[in-house]
Amino acid sequence: MMNWKRIRRATMLCTTAAVALAGLVGSAHAEDKKFKIYLSLSYSGNAWQSEAANIVKALAATPPYDKQVELIEVISGTDPQAQISAYESMIEAGADGIVTFPISSTALNRVIKRGCEQGVKFFTYDATVTEPCAYNVSYITAGFGENSAQALVNELGGKGKIFLSRGVPGNSVDKRHTDGAMHIFKQYPGIEIAAEYYSYWDDRTTQQETAKALAAHPDVDGIWAQAGEYGAIQALQDAGTKLVPMTGENSNGFRLALANPDMQAKGLKGVSAGSPPAQSGYAFKLLMEILTGKRELEATNIEYPLPWVPAASVKLCEGETFENGCNAFPDGKVPSSFVTEVFNPELLPELSLLSALEGKPTPGATIQPLPAEIVKAPNEPGINCQNCEPPADLYKLTKIQPTVSP
Amino acid sequence: MSVSEPKGAAFQASADLRRGGGISRETTNAIIVFGLSILLILGSRFVSPALGSWSQVLTVLMLASFLIVLSFGQGLVILVGGLDLSIPAVITLGGVLATGWAGGGGDWYVLPAILAICGLVGAFNGFGVTVLKIPPFIMTMATSIILASAALGYTSGTPRGASPAAMTALMKTTWVGIPVVVYFVLLFVLAGWLLQSRTVFGRKLYAIGANDQAARVAGVAIGPVTTQAYVVSAICAGFVGMMLVGYANGATLRMGDNYLLPSIAAVVIGGSSILGGRGSFIGTVGGAVLLTTLGTVIAAIGLEQGWRTVIEGGIIVAALFFMREEFFARLRRPKRS
Amino acid sequence: MSASAVQPLERNGGGRKSNWVRALTSGAAIVTLLYVVLYALYALWEPRALSSYTFTNLINNAAPLAIAAAGETLVVLSRGFDLSVAGVVSLTNVFMAVWPMEGPGGALISLLGCCAIGAVVGTVNGWLVAVLRLQTIAATLGTMIVCQGLALVILDAPGGMVADWVSYELTGTLFGVVPIAGLIIAAVALLWLVFLRTNTGIGIYAVGADEQAAMLSGVSVTRVRFAAFVGAGMLYGVAGFMLSAQTATGNPNAGAPFLMLVFAAVALGGTSLSGGRGGLIGSIVGAGCLMLLQKVLFSGGVSSFYTGIFQGFVLILAILFGRFMPRLFNAGAKK
Repeated sequence: MMNWKRIRRATMLCTTAAVALAGLVGSAHAEDKKFKIYLSLSYSGNAWQSEAANIVKALAATPPYDKQVELIEVISGTDPQAQISAYESMIEAGADGIVTFPISSTALNRVIKRGCEQGVKFFTYDATVTEPCAYNVSYITAGFGENSAQALVNELGGKGKIFLSRGVPGNSVDKRHTDGAMHIFKQYPGIEIAAEYYSYWDDRTTQQETAKALAAHPDVDGIWAQAGEYGAIQALQDAGTKLVPMTGENSNGFRLALANPDMQAKGLKGVSAGSPPAQSGYAFKLLMEILTGKRELEATNIEYPLPWVPAASVKLCEGETFENGCNAFPDGKVPSSFVTEVFNPELLPELSLLSALEGKPTPGATIQPLPAEIVKAPNEPGINCQNCEPPADLYKLTKIQPTVSP
Repeated sequence: MSVSEPKGAAFQASADLRRGGGISRETTNAIIVFGLSILLILGSRFVSPALGSWSQVLTVLMLASFLIVLSFGQGLVILVGGLDLSIPAVITLGGVLATGWAGGGGDWYVLPAILAICGLVGAFNGFGVTVLKIPPFIMTMATSIILASAALGYTSGTPRGASPAAMTALMKTTWVGIPVVVYFVLLFVLAGWLLQSRTVFGRKLYAIGANDQAARVAGVAIGPVTTQAYVVSAICAGFVGMMLVGYANGATLRMGDNYLLPSIAAVVIGGSSILGGRGSFIGTVGGAVLLTTLGTVIAAIGLEQGWRTVIEGGIIVAALFFMREEFFARLRRPKRS
Repeated sequence: MSASAVQPLERNGGGRKSNWVRALTSGAAIVTLLYVVLYALYALWEPRALSSYTFTNLINNAAPLAIAAAGETLVVLSRGFDLSVAGVVSLTNVFMAVWPMEGPGGALISLLGCCAIGAVVGTVNGWLVAVLRLQTIAATLGTMIVCQGLALVILDAPGGMVADWVSYELTGTLFGVVPIAGLIIAAVALLWLVFLRTNTGIGIYAVGADEQAAMLSGVSVTRVRFAAFVGAGMLYGVAGFMLSAQTATGNPNAGAPFLMLVFAAVALGGTSLSGGRGGLIGSIVGAGCLMLLQKVLFSGGVSSFYTGIFQGFVLILAILFGRFMPRLFNAGAKK
């Protein structure tokens, strides 16, 4: 009896599980003649990543792309192996193109090459890969590190104790930014780097790490930060001391703070620059123009312009897009962690706040052609090419000039 | 972890009690961890003159508050011989729901409701471990994966909203020059210590962890009591999610990721046995304070990140070394003779 | 505290051969069954799944995790947790990328180097755990952090190049059908079967099942623990070697994703996380299942937002089946 019952239970469990799996998975392979494009994220869950993904989703749903594209989003996590496996699956499934945020600049090269050989077009945005058959669309080469460092040096008059709030240890993007910044800081013997910590491009971690550094150095004069910069302001406020000049990336909270007269009075000055989520949209549109035969372009590295908004240029938007040169949204319209650079009136006029927040197309918008010209990115070994020579003027300043001499 | 603790440890613990002449091994452990923290804070003056100050102590206590609350729950689960790997996902759940449902001027009573939901997650863990007999490691890992995925789907990647007013008040205001959260943590430590060491519930947890067969014979309802430990852990984690939201004014889906290993490390460095049945909350608090202090001091050392990481790992091993049984035995023997 | 009631049968027999052989086969058999079912689903949704190209890719993908899980199994069997796997994989990956050595000879030296790194870390772990008697999870947390730091010191950003011979030959196939990575996994499994016949091999089960009893019956607990950690470390080294072959480059954080996955693989493979029961081959197939599951969910068209829900429930269900089947057999045997 006992045995029979057990076997029955086992069989029931087996069947239920199998049926549940099969039923839930359902039929997903609708065959039609649309371009099959994958949006491959490494992870999702912070404002930047989901805005970038939403932009691609919104564009894919904007006429005429809504009739031409089947877009499938895949999130594989922070494990390069998982993304390798995901790429392989996409290639097998007959992808026409893959728009991706690559988790590693080098580990994915092999599978990307295999994909290229089978005719898949790879477009990376923001982060890059060194495999030459992929198209890299990124601001990385546009000099965030050196320009923001020079801006901070200018604000400090060439001397003072500063913190470096970096990204993720062992990450090529973080290294590129910091190398650029150090190129500038080293020229000024008056600049002392009091603390250097990793904030994982996250507000909360930045706040905690800055609080730790402030405990050791309450007399800091300036902060050079990568993404997560709003956390640094909050840490300064928590400590109850003065605010200091700082540079950071594009969060709405930081831009509002830069423009806030109270905070300016307490000593906050600086520049908002850095990584724009809109890169993903530019990459996707380039891919579509190539697939639809509107553009001939060999695989290359394409530079996306660096956003550059000093405190004096912060301007609040009345509406849902960047109009009349505005570049931040009023408090309450978006969270402070919202990354503002989701629009580009020239390259991506189709987008609105709705697109960035929810991935929906702007009502009435249609896809506009991109300008014919692209900006080629300079070579950067380990970032967008392997075994290549960087240009001699790799860290040249493009957005700002030194106002103090070393 | 899912098998009863070998009797040896229980014998050792009682033997320690006898040898130590009234001071239990757990108390000496706690004294050592706190002593190391204080030494680190004082010694950190050599690293930077601004360190070793009262304001550094406040910073440490404030930053340690998250870890203290978390490791209380983790400690209870470890006490019954389990392990809670779902902590990061529950932190995220607490944070995401707090901003989503109670953000800004939301109703205060939503917060307990959110904690109740987190408690349900703990109950799910407890159910899997005690009824389905799934190893805690796997059960809580699966819960974590499921929950993280559900949070991703629910928010479609972007948590919305701001911090609830109550949490902002807890994390951002000061009273007589000391952050309110520091008072809160002191009360929490007192309550946690009472619960773990001075209640019937606490004694049942120790009994289960030391020898679940014996506990069952003694009439302890193993399943329900163990489940309660997981529920408390999940509620603690959910509350830390809210604290983090109040601290940084917003939620992200990866906000809990960096807390899993520290929550286990704090418990173990505080002298608890990972196999269960042994440990004190005061020791765990010491472990949390020590880890946080270490973070602030190491951040101030002017070395590249790689070497700083090496030093951090080395100090953790060293701290464990100082808390070994044999080390105590050697310390005591010369005094006796 | 789970399931102690049903275990005496296996636990008492920790040293006796017939019992552990049965435990080994049943755990590995169940997870193999799971693998076959998953593969069938995969082939159903993705016809290309049956090609040798796809299969090779699958094996290449799974090899690093499988070998790392094999190493972890040694420690878990002796009732411990080894977190240093993440550190060793990162460290050996960086070693491979910063000091590439060409040709088959170079590959052999690299492999020995990786094993040596793993053995050194394993020795430190073994010393901390077996000699100083620190708690495994805490001591190996410390060594993991130290190794991660060293990896960062050697290589501060992803880069470097793994030798071409390693990255091409080891991810290729023999006679066009047999994946080389599969052969290496088979070699690990073979070594394991040999190791099982040694005193230390039997001792690992005895120590994991009941340390006091093992000591009383003359097993050197210290030596067995030590051997488990050193062996595990060497296998992590091989895992790092295989990961380098697959990614062809170095990344100081390469090992981090392994930390949780190895334990999932070990548990899926039927090894008891409280020690004394299970086996290394189950863990290898368990790792294969984890990698295959990603493919199955992808080819089934599950939205990425919800794949985790499936993964979590599959994990729970697989463990339940693993628990359920032996009971079925045991009950049958008794009556």
